[in-house]
Amino acid sequence: MKNNHNITLKNINKSYQKGTNTVVVHDNFNLTIESGEFVALMGPSGLGKSTLLHLMGGLDQPTQGEVIIGTQRIDNLKQAQLTQWRAENIGFVFQSHHLLPVLSAQGNVELPLALTPLNKKQRQEHASYALELVGMSERANHYPKELSGGQEQRVAIARAIVSDPHILLCDEPTGNLDRKTADEILVLLTQLNRNFGKTIVMVTHDKKAADYASRVINLESYIFEPKSIEVGEGI
Amino acid sequence: MLILVWRNSFRKKMRFWLTCISVMVAFFLFTTLSVVNHALTANVSNSNQYRLMTSHKISLTQSLPINYKQKIAALPGVKQVSYASWFGGFYQNEKNQLPVTAVDHETYFDLFDEYYIPTEQLIQWKNTRTGIVIGQSLADKYGWKIGDKVPLSSSIWMNKSGSFNWSFTVSAIYQTTDHSGTNNKVFFQHAYFDKGRAYARNSMSWLSTEISDKANVDDVIVAIDKLFIHTNSPTRSTTEQVFIKERAQQFVDMAMVINLVVVAVFFTLLLIVCNTMIQTIRERNNESAMMKALGFSSLSLIQGIYLESLLLLGLGAFAGSLLAYLLITAIGQNFNDFLPGISISPSHYLTVFALVNIAAAFCSAFPALAIKRLVISKTLGGQA
Repeated sequence: MKNNHNITLKNINKSYQKGTNTVVVHDNFNLTIESGEFVALMGPSGLGKSTLLHLMGGLDQPTQGEVIIGTQRIDNLKQAQLTQWRAENIGFVFQSHHLLPVLSAQGNVELPLALTPLNKKQRQEHASYALELVGMSERANHYPKELSGGQEQRVAIARAIVSDPHILLCDEPTGNLDRKTADEILVLLTQLNRNFGKTIVMVTHDKKAADYASRVINLESYIFEPKSIEVGEGI
Repeated sequence: MLILVWRNSFRKKMRFWLTCISVMVAFFLFTTLSVVNHALTANVSNSNQYRLMTSHKISLTQSLPINYKQKIAALPGVKQVSYASWFGGFYQNEKNQLPVTAVDHETYFDLFDEYYIPTEQLIQWKNTRTGIVIGQSLADKYGWKIGDKVPLSSSIWMNKSGSFNWSFTVSAIYQTTDHSGTNNKVFFQHAYFDKGRAYARNSMSWLSTEISDKANVDDVIVAIDKLFIHTNSPTRSTTEQVFIKERAQQFVDMAMVINLVVVAVFFTLLLIVCNTMIQTIRERNNESAMMKALGFSSLSLIQGIYLESLLLLGLGAFAGSLLAYLLITAIGQNFNDFLPGISISPSHYLTVFALVNIAAAFCSAFPALAIKRLVISKTLGGQA
């Protein structure tokens, strides 16, 4: 039986203050992503793709509206609760890998497991398995500076999946890579989606990258240009 | 996490070691100066506040008549009176300076009961005109035993034969529990001194007065000084504490300078380490944000920064204290006469431990604030 890890964004309003202006990024935005989907969020810069990803991952909170992951409403959780929730449910892959340079590939992948009750041996086993899945077993003891961009991103993906989260949120995961390496990473994500049932939401500008997804959501046709509302007369 | 703390600490090796050396220097200065400060001021804090000291109103170098003893003893509230004169003195050559004092042998050790002298030795000393009472450390240093003949010289006092050399016999060895290390003094009979010296007979340098329990210190002080106000040798009386404090004034002032230096050093140290930690956390902004995204709490990241500060400060403090220990040990062995009892007390290590922890907490405070305020979505980017 498939678990419910649907992602539901309900009546989302998101705005932020820029000087005396309030910039509205999303106004009454609704979206549902079914558990096990591989969704690509597309659209020009500035439409709030990353913002949506951050809302889904509990990195940011909506001004109004509800963010529901499975049966859990997360937009009203406190920071400490969100932190723990993220550790258990979400894997992040960013455009920049953000690996810790002082740890080897194995060490970086083991890092999220420090938050689990697993012992050292179990952590090592899990990390080795995750590295094997992304094809980086042979580079396990290499440090980030000894890896290529594609390899670093593979390690970042291994780090994202090592604690077996249901959802992978990828923000331009191939943005810094050449075409061939990007395709390898996208194939890897597709495998994680198809073989392991991971729900993947990927923000991308790249149409070819979006082709790997099972559904493409183009925010340009979803919402209008972000608009600014003047507040007060200014100084 | 500990491995991460360790590796992060040595990430910028040059910066780590340079900061560590500055911490080491600060704790070296702190330990050394604190110990020297303690050695200089120990006598002040260990002195007896119920004993009065009376000297010439003009200066300690001016003598007072010996008969003042009886006059003071007759005052109400006075329990007993003794007197002493500074002899100075050295053994063999002037490099071996010794604190030698001529004292009223009948009364002196009744007043100053912090010197533990075996009764039979004390009797022996009282019965030996040329006898000296020496401290245990002095006996150990020169291998002097009871009965040994010891020639001591004075650069101030010439004897009747026109020589500055005086002959003494070791009659008693005292011990003291006083940690300020006054185990290197020499006492001899004032009667021998008075009779033997070429000039200034029937006089002494200062009087020590013990007052009775119920006596008012101020009243007795006023009474003593009033007694001699119209004589050729007016007096100035104070408590022993004030007397020693005034005598050590130059050292106490030095102690204040030392304290100021220590405070300045620590303030600078805090700024240096604080700046290092702020720089460190700024460089790792993205990593901190990533770790928060992975599910690490702000608290766990702050703990990491605290442990890094602790490692840096602890290592520096350990090295600095070790260096200071070696220096103090060397000073203790070679300059014991000048700074008796100079040593690092166990409580000092506790102070260092506490300071390291406080400094680590202080230096982690600003990075902690930065971590707490870190907004993951802003730090890790992505377009809105």
